[in-house]
Amino acid sequence: MSEEAILAQIMEAHSDKIESAKVLQPRCLSVVAKMDGLVEVAESLKTRFGFTMPVACGGVDYLNDQRIQMIYYAHNPEQKIMLTYRVNLPRDGPKMPTLTMVWGAMDFHEREAHEMFGIEFEGHTNMIPFLLPPDWRGGHPLRKDFKGEGATQ
Amino acid sequence: MTDPIIKPDVMRISWGPQHPMSGQTRILLDVDGEKVHRIIADLGFTHRGIEKILENRTFFQGIIPIERMVMADTANIGLSYVTAIEKALGIEVPERANWIRSLMCEMARINSHLYAFGLQAESTGYFPAVFLWTTTDRTILLDLFEELTGARWSYNFFMPGGVHKDLPEGFQAKVVKGVEYLRRRFEDYWVAMVENAVFEVRCDGLAVLKPEDAIRLGATGPVLRGSGIPMDVRKDEPYAAYADLDFDVITEPACDVMARTKVRYREIGESLKIMEQVANEIPGGEIATKTSPFVRPKQPAEVMSRVETARGEIGIHMFTEAAPNPYRVKINSPTLRNMYVFERMAELSEILMADIPVVINSIDPWYLDSDR
Repeated sequence: MSEEAILAQIMEAHSDKIESAKVLQPRCLSVVAKMDGLVEVAESLKTRFGFTMPVACGGVDYLNDQRIQMIYYAHNPEQKIMLTYRVNLPRDGPKMPTLTMVWGAMDFHEREAHEMFGIEFEGHTNMIPFLLPPDWRGGHPLRKDFKGEGATQ
Repeated sequence: MTDPIIKPDVMRISWGPQHPMSGQTRILLDVDGEKVHRIIADLGFTHRGIEKILENRTFFQGIIPIERMVMADTANIGLSYVTAIEKALGIEVPERANWIRSLMCEMARINSHLYAFGLQAESTGYFPAVFLWTTTDRTILLDLFEELTGARWSYNFFMPGGVHKDLPEGFQAKVVKGVEYLRRRFEDYWVAMVENAVFEVRCDGLAVLKPEDAIRLGATGPVLRGSGIPMDVRKDEPYAAYADLDFDVITEPACDVMARTKVRYREIGESLKIMEQVANEIPGGEIATKTSPFVRPKQPAEVMSRVETARGEIGIHMFTEAAPNPYRVKINSPTLRNMYVFERMAELSEILMADIPVVINSIDPWYLDSDR
């Protein structure tokens, strides 16, 4: 099945819960979800559309638009297609439900995004320090306004 | 850290980062006698913030830090970043450059697999000889790298648009000679290690990862293929010259540590096949499209590049704007994915304390890669 056909099916099933969707490049889809149907659409993408293999997740800080886009990467091992599943969060106090109950392996990556961007994942049960030192007080390093204020004091 | 399981018999042991077999990470183990109940990976000891560094470097400068992610496998890691730049800027690569890239990538894959193979032998505790053999045999590849690029490690040889230098005179013959030598050596490895009764006792049936678990947990590379799932970016989404090259995706059905070791072993054979093909059939022509080091994209773009490294699939998701450096680079590292699989292994099958070095080396971890 072509990327466009899969995308059309996803749109048809969840048109009211998806902000936008496109084929990013061959074998790579991009779906931007609305916040209210986030978990539901993720569940359906996994069970119905075969994106069963979690890859990673991470954020992008758009300082000018005052938003952070959280991106989840998942594979469809049958069709060999990659999905980037996104949601836009406000830059000030970003908060979203965790997707670890859909893709368990996002555990590590959500912990990383929590440290690097300051995103709160509601329902994440294992939010312990990941890459940064446990006593890190320097802010969120991957945010665009991070000035690199030393490590620990 | 998560509290230890509160049972009088369960003890929490910190393993690494100074343990000879652990590498630069700490693993917390909740053990009851010899049996491991829970594995907790404490990563971040080698976190250098490569994603942030890349935001502050021009596209060309970024090739240098990103190659430091996996020193044994710099060609594949470097290629993932260079391919992303080419996609973002719309740079065409000449055919000959693609073939040279494939040659380098396969040499790096063998180099990395040999290292992993040696460590796997070392981790079972009985085969220091195999580690020394693989170290000696890697010299063949390092000599070839040195002649081609001028460096034995971290070559910085790929650039957007092609490669820096053409193959030196007589290089192809040396590649063929090296391949012949390594093929002979591999028969020795098979007898000395894979078929060895002691190695079989340690590795057969250990840390079984069923195919459905491998997919659910997001395994990649030899760990995934060791669970019998034929996924390989070189076949699924060919880059460089892989569409023109003849090779097989190696899988093993047994799903245990032995299967992962065998996958690496047989993948080395496939890589040797590719090296030979490139040496014999490389097309002529240009080696690079001329690209300015100060190149900048005209409008914002977003590209994804995926490359099969020795440890699995690396993904570079690059966001650019009209600036000389990338806006954001997200690196989906293969070791991080496999580390999550390793953390879950104590839940999937029974692992004893003494098996931990064997199991962790079966995922071939490289912590500079997982920490970035």
